[in-house]
Amino acid sequence: MTSSVNRVERFAFSERAPHWMAALSFVYAALTGLALWTPHLFWLSDVFGGGSTIRRWHPWGGVVFAVVLGLMFRNWAREMKLDADDRQWLRKAHKYAVHDEEGLPEPGRFNAGQKMLFWVQMIATLLLFASGAVLWFPELMPRTLRLAAILIHPSVAVVSMGGIIVHIYMGTAAVPGAFRGMIQGWVRPAWARSHHPKWYRDITKS
Amino acid sequence: MVTVAKLIDTTTCIGCKACEAACQEWQDQPFPVGTYDGTYQTFPDVRHDFWNLIKFNEIEHADGGLSWHMAKFQCMHCVDAGCITACPAPGAIFRRDNGTVDFDHDKCIGCGYCITACPFDVPRLNPITQKVYKCNLCSDRTAVGLEPACIKACPTNCLTFGARDDLVQIATDRARTLREDGKASAGVYNPAGVGGTNVIYVLEDAAHPEDYGLPNDPTVPWTVRVWQGPLKWLGNAALVGGILGTFFHYIRFGPRHADEESS
Ligand code: HEM
Ligand code: SF4
Repeated sequence: MTSSVNRVERFAFSERAPHWMAALSFVYAALTGLALWTPHLFWLSDVFGGGSTIRRWHPWGGVVFAVVLGLMFRNWAREMKLDADDRQWLRKAHKYAVHDEEGLPEPGRFNAGQKMLFWVQMIATLLLFASGAVLWFPELMPRTLRLAAILIHPSVAVVSMGGIIVHIYMGTAAVPGAFRGMIQGWVRPAWARSHHPKWYRDITKS
Repeated sequence: MVTVAKLIDTTTCIGCKACEAACQEWQDQPFPVGTYDGTYQTFPDVRHDFWNLIKFNEIEHADGGLSWHMAKFQCMHCVDAGCITACPAPGAIFRRDNGTVDFDHDKCIGCGYCITACPFDVPRLNPITQKVYKCNLCSDRTAVGLEPACIKACPTNCLTFGARDDLVQIATDRARTLREDGKASAGVYNPAGVGGTNVIYVLEDAAHPEDYGLPNDPTVPWTVRVWQGPLKWLGNAALVGGILGTFFHYIRFGPRHADEESS
């Protein structure tokens, strides 16, 4: 897997492409959704072509997002299973946040925080898709379902957006080098050893 | 400005549909082709192009007797209007100074939240324009001192238009008269659950508004209230908190560098 002495392949193109399709469609769905979330952000609708336009296309942005998450599920679901080390890691996640990593189990290709984000987004997407479909066609759906969806859709969206805020922070400012892993697909060996030691050992064993 | 209202005295409605025709005429809506179900009711329900419906209900009594209820149905112009609470497009649904709940169709985006939030199930989406329509109490007529078209057309004076306070009084008096005449359960329909409505009914059997096609105890649904109330605050706090939290994490703890690497 090591493509040169100085580079370790982190994500294949078949992993990076769905990730960035998800990112784009998510940002579109989130910003157009936020326009309707509060009148203070309704100006966002102008950025995306006006209120009627975002009403029409937000659901399609969501559909693209949901389909792409299906691809990500296919790529990663197996690797994202939490093992005993991960559970241990999660109990001490607050120490990871303050760079005090003594006693933290060594992460594999994904650390337990990344795995949690993965599962939170998978469940959130199912809920967003189901409740979004109900809101999409108000005149075809029973009223009780609509009254539930109107509460579920934005609640889940907030959880999902909250997770993504932290995710973007981690992937850019907080963990230098991670961004290139998802853009160009490779990282430095030192990066891999430091952030994902178990994974680094696995891929350098052979 | 005084709050205006419409009084519908169902005891004197003969079901002639003059108000339906007048509504279509004034709103310049051609009479639509729809489902006719063989009763004395024009369509099964109000439509985006048909805002004023005389609901027909045949009620069987315990003693074998029969009542035919004719009850005009349209937007109730609620004092506490679920549609306004739900609407995400600023100014698309608004309250006029005279209390009327009206739509500004240039601002309506067709999301349909009002359809979900309305306790009376009144607003309807036009699939072509993707905008929502309902009775506006002929706001273009009332603005120049005219009564709504339905009121003008009614041949029996079953419909009255005027200051809300006056009409509540008239309705109360009329219900009392009916009770004195032996209609023991006659009463006024002005449901408190939505803060009262600017369309008020006199019902011969006020204990059973559903027999007239009216909900028994309409309220703005609690999910709509939670969604547009506490959830907004919680959600905003969570999102702003997330952004500020990551920022302050960065300036307090900084990035986590790989052992021998900086970029
Ligand atoms: C998965 C498929 C999705 C579908 C079918 C969908 C559909 C809808 C529909 C129909 C609405 C009502 C207004 C409109 O059409 O614009 C809506 C509102 C909204 N959506 Fe989505 N959506 C989806 C995904 C998402 C995602 C991924 C997000 C962002 C995390 C999101 C955030 C929102 C928000 C914040 C609102 C406004 C809620 C409010 O007014 O309080 N949606 N969505
Ligand atoms: S009846 Fe429905 S549409 Fe009319 S004011 Fe009340 S909530 Fe709004």
